[in-house]
Amino acid sequence: MLIVGALSLASIGTGVVVGVSGAGASGSTPGVTARTITIGATVPISGLAKGYAEVSASAAAVFNYVNKHGGINGRKIKYLRLDDCYNIAALGCALPPTLTPTLDQTRALVTQDNVFATVGSLGTAAQDSVLAYLNQNHVPDLFVNSGSSDWNQAKYPLLFGFQPSYQAESKIFAKWITSHMPNAVIGTLGQGDDFGANGLAGLLAGGLNILPSNQLVYNPANVVNPPALQAELVQRITTLKTNGATVVVLDAIPPVVNGILQIAHSLSYTPQWVISSVGSDPLGVNTSLEVGAITFNYLPATNDAKNVWNKWVRKVIANDPTRTTDFPNFYSGANAGILDANMLYGSSYAVAFCEALKSLGKNPTRAGIVKAMTTVKFATPSTTPLLYSAGNHQGLQGGGLATVVANSNPANPPQFANYLNSTTYTTGDYSNTAVVAHKTIVSPIPSWLK
Amino acid sequence: MLLTAGALSATFGLSSLNDSKLAGGAAIAIVILGLSWLIGWSGQVSLGNSGFMAVGGYVTAIWANHHTATPIIFSLCLAMLCGALSGLIIALPATRLRGPYLAGMTLAFSFAVGPLALYFPSITGGSGGLFLNFLNAPNWFLNLFSGPQALVQANAQWSADLSIVVAAVAFFFMANLFHSRTGRAMRLVRDNDVAAELAGVNLQRTRTLAFVISAAYAGLGGSLLTLLSGSVNSQMYSLQLSILLLTLMVLGGVGTLGGAVIGGLIYSYSDNLVSLVNKLTGINPTSSLGANLKGVFFGVLLILTMLLAPKGLGGLGARIANMANRLRPASMRAPTRE
Repeated sequence: MLIVGALSLASIGTGVVVGVSGAGASGSTPGVTARTITIGATVPISGLAKGYAEVSASAAAVFNYVNKHGGINGRKIKYLRLDDCYNIAALGCALPPTLTPTLDQTRALVTQDNVFATVGSLGTAAQDSVLAYLNQNHVPDLFVNSGSSDWNQAKYPLLFGFQPSYQAESKIFAKWITSHMPNAVIGTLGQGDDFGANGLAGLLAGGLNILPSNQLVYNPANVVNPPALQAELVQRITTLKTNGATVVVLDAIPPVVNGILQIAHSLSYTPQWVISSVGSDPLGVNTSLEVGAITFNYLPATNDAKNVWNKWVRKVIANDPTRTTDFPNFYSGANAGILDANMLYGSSYAVAFCEALKSLGKNPTRAGIVKAMTTVKFATPSTTPLLYSAGNHQGLQGGGLATVVANSNPANPPQFANYLNSTTYTTGDYSNTAVVAHKTIVSPIPSWLK
Repeated sequence: MLLTAGALSATFGLSSLNDSKLAGGAAIAIVILGLSWLIGWSGQVSLGNSGFMAVGGYVTAIWANHHTATPIIFSLCLAMLCGALSGLIIALPATRLRGPYLAGMTLAFSFAVGPLALYFPSITGGSGGLFLNFLNAPNWFLNLFSGPQALVQANAQWSADLSIVVAAVAFFFMANLFHSRTGRAMRLVRDNDVAAELAGVNLQRTRTLAFVISAAYAGLGGSLLTLLSGSVNSQMYSLQLSILLLTLMVLGGVGTLGGAVIGGLIYSYSDNLVSLVNKLTGINPTSSLGANLKGVFFGVLLILTMLLAPKGLGGLGARIANMANRLRPASMRAPTRE
């Protein structure tokens, strides 16, 4: 009966907040010692999304570089990257059988490694599964790598995103389509989850008229089942072709984009492709069929040799002791020596974290870093300002439009996407905010980072 | 009772990470116990228990998202009831089947759960699934901890202690069931259904009851896991999980309480085991061999267990105890158990 009593006392449900006062709140900050500060991230190092491992590896390279130059306010940054297989324990995932890889690894970071904060964890579904846990345990969750708007929620004040939302990206696409192809018949083919849904919502919020019969999705579960995916994509693309769509917006990941382009080609279907930044990196999509596609970018073009940040990132990568294993394609193969967007992305959030940490001085606290996120004026590689406020934890608010250009040797797949012009755009998620044009910015590199 | 008290006091000494592992292991042990009951005691195979776990998990999440504060015991009972109901629905056709046909039917159920969840996204949250708040340790428990990690430790240990208590209650009921008339009737139906019928046992009802209880336990385990992980989605409860449950059940020992506990512990510490294998063999865990090693590891372990210790590790333990018993002089021997 005692057991029943105890169980009855314990409650669950939404909106139940257990007030935490006193016990455990005072005392030293987790993850901070006199000489080090420990942060962590759960990222896909094995499994179906292991291509993204480079992002956090680049961040690690930045921290390593900073540590070699004395660290931040005398402390070295210890960055623990734990493999969560993108929260899908299949397809070459190195983790033992578990129902919740990301949660397990996040627990390890919080309970075993006592991290000060999580920085740069990756993946929408993966990170959604740990938001409540990190919030419950008062762990700041910074620079989540995903374009979902889930990182911008009032109920999670310690949570911050980094890249612009899918809605913002799509509203900017809508602006381009309206001004360049006003009479186009628009089709969409997106991933059947929040990524695709948010992308479509942004296009509609941007004022595009898309017939419901041209709003198509593919089942994300089929990403691990190539024959089923192939069959589904053939059916979808045939529909778009039959319906006469002249512009097709893709909210898909690189291997799926490759599949879509190949299938369309085999059906002799050549609409104007508009591809989300998530799935458009030419090095990932790897087909000449992508040339001419319109995409979106918020970091320097990787072929801009004059850009100060590109030069700096090259320097940082070259000094990374594990560079040949972390960046194999940079050191050998057809694309050796070419920076890829993942490297710029990881470097950007790492720089931002260093700037936030530096502003805290000698005694960093969790409350301090959360406040710093909304007060520090960040200087990162991004082409629009990185800005957080009390009411907006999304991060970047926009970017510019780019097009995939042919390889100098047309026989090889493209490697770069050039910005169309020096204009970037910022906007909010919904139709109540306009798409505002700006000049592309290049933030100077802080002197202490050089 | 002693074991429960021992386990609970152990959680005070263990690290938070171990507490979380034990919590998950306790939930899985409950499911394994239900499966063990079905397979070991009533002789019916099921590859669909992950589906019943999903029912329990989704019910818990859906309820939590529509009601602000629910006593845990209510959520768990609700999940058990829904698990039992879905077990009943499946049992009606399933108990008329035997052997591979029964296995196939439960397999079909396991396959159906994922697409069903995707088909009703407004209820189930689609592929993203549903989220709910974590179990927060109440203030009186929180006050037992101090230091910078007090909150983290308290929450982890609360989850572990709660899970152990729930598992203890579930095991207690199952132990009674094993030794009851129902339990004996189950075994009779398993071993010789003709004789059972002649003895006046209703075959259909007995087999159905086995299914329903097994599904109720799976629903309970699924519900507990959902509370522990704060989320539920169809990928978590797949065919792969059903197979893992079977594997853990065999490794631990079919049809015994101890076997289910061992199965749960292996689940809790599977990453430690796999790391150990990696260390012993020197294989890089992120290489393609390393990534597939865990599947090989469990497969090999399963084969070895079936060859060398068909009653599982629990049975092995019992065999060693019996052998040690026989080595004693006759006057000092403990009575042998079946």
